[in-house]
Amino acid sequence: MTDTSATGHSGPDLLAGYAAGAVDEAAAWSVEAHLMACAACRSAIAGQVDAGRLARNRSVLLVRAAIGDDGLLARLLRRCGVPDHLVRLLAATPSLRRSWLLSVAGVLAVVTGEAALARYGWAEARVPRPPRQEFLVPFLLVAPLLALASVAAAFVPLFDPAHRVAVAAPFSGFRLLLVRTVCALAVAVVPVAGAAFAVPGPGWLPAAFLLPSLAVCGLALAAGTVMRPLAAAVAAGTLWALPVLALAGARLPLLIVQWHGQAVCAAVLLAAAAVVCLRHDRFELGWTR
Amino acid sequence: MTPDTRTAAIHVDGLSRWYGVTRALTDVDLAFGLGVTGLLGPNGAGKTTLLSVLATVAEPDTGRVSVFGLDPRDAAERVEIRRRLGYLPQELRYHRHFTVAGFLDYVAILKEITDRRTRAGEVARVLAATDMERLAGRRVRTLSGGMRQRLGIAQALLGEPELLILDEPTAGLDPEQRLRFRELLSDLPGDPVVLLSTHQADDIAAICPQVVVLLQGRVRFTGTPAELAAVAAGRVWAAAERDGRAHLSWRGGDGMWRAIGDRPPVGAQLVAPTVEDGYLLLSHAADGR
Repeated sequence: MTDTSATGHSGPDLLAGYAAGAVDEAAAWSVEAHLMACAACRSAIAGQVDAGRLARNRSVLLVRAAIGDDGLLARLLRRCGVPDHLVRLLAATPSLRRSWLLSVAGVLAVVTGEAALARYGWAEARVPRPPRQEFLVPFLLVAPLLALASVAAAFVPLFDPAHRVAVAAPFSGFRLLLVRTVCALAVAVVPVAGAAFAVPGPGWLPAAFLLPSLAVCGLALAAGTVMRPLAAAVAAGTLWALPVLALAGARLPLLIVQWHGQAVCAAVLLAAAAVVCLRHDRFELGWTR
Repeated sequence: MTPDTRTAAIHVDGLSRWYGVTRALTDVDLAFGLGVTGLLGPNGAGKTTLLSVLATVAEPDTGRVSVFGLDPRDAAERVEIRRRLGYLPQELRYHRHFTVAGFLDYVAILKEITDRRTRAGEVARVLAATDMERLAGRRVRTLSGGMRQRLGIAQALLGEPELLILDEPTAGLDPEQRLRFRELLSDLPGDPVVLLSTHQADDIAAICPQVVVLLQGRVRFTGTPAELAAVAAGRVWAAAERDGRAHLSWRGGDGMWRAIGDRPPVGAQLVAPTVEDGYLLLSHAADGR
């Protein structure tokens, strides 16, 4: 509030501006919140604002209070300038909920711990075993799949209970998908990269997961333009798991994230981006013919 | 294309829809005008399929649909239809962690009401219309079935739609809530086109100037409730004893047997048919019994 008297009441200029509809939204919210609790200011403004408008504003304020808090991520995004309505859409994304993120962190903790134990052994923490790569296989397998799962949960209709309402609404399905998947991916990559720092692997490992994670998620979205979203996510996950397991069998699991693998992932990502751009209308669900 | 008049309302020509080898709709031809039209039929009659096609959620296999002169096959016109649409799907599911107001706010965004203040005002309006103001801050997961159904109706009302499609809106409502729903339909602003499906013949008689009976995917009747009741004129009897020759018979609360048939039971009196009698007779004929 920009004009509040020392007593805590809205100042006369602010009240007059509010009555004339000449204050910005934040100031109007502030005045209305104060009016709800302050009989003196309600009385002061009663002659300038009709009772119906005050009653409507009171209802609006109650609604705003009832909508509830969207959490830390939402507040952060708003501070970064993301429009409020886009932030609110994220509240319906399961992979941005605390329970999901805790599950991701739990899985990462397990595979990271397993890698550390396999690398150092239970009682030999100060005497590393000879360097081998096999202990990294579970982490290599799981990390991009966690990013994929987060993205899939953001766009597979199975995870949106009000999907039919969303389909029948005018909001662009593709735009909704972009908002949710980009945010879900960004949030999922953080714990994956963090866990990669903790894994006893090469120093470049955290950076090496970014491209494969993007490629697998991009592949799922591109495949989603030609098949059902859930099948697309499963197919993309399978196409990541098969080469990881094959290279693990050849005792060269790190090859998947070394420069050969990075090149393949970059090519897949570019191709997937092209497909998504060209076929984005396939994400406009419902009656599409 | 922008329609120049709302009187065109909705036209359905030769609509058919298959689910695998099951034909849900067969050559449906219908026209809907302003006001409330009730769709009556048993489970599996094609009501939900027809409404989801009109809501642009499901595609027909053959046939044409025109909504306010707009063709849902065209992407831009489909979005325009959705801007004018309020849709309550059958058995709508919810994001259970949302509050009531939060869910409505989310749907309002999907309906392109992006301004925060306007959105809150609209949510407040539909909460008042459905008598849910006191529930605004409740989590959806804590609501009873009837409350959730009212929430479903409330989300359909967002944006004052010109076309309101309600798939079994009175399912789960108690008698008082059903009466409130009838009041709500009577007080809708702007005289929209309302299509509602129901199993309740008394809902049809009470609120629908027009009724369509769908049986086995085909339109078996269109007309007024009085005309539907008249289908059974001269074939509804009240008797003290059960008559085995009647197509349908049941004992009423007064101990008298109500029989629908071509011949009067012994000692029976002809009684005035109801909408339910007409519907039951049509249903019996469609079953080939």
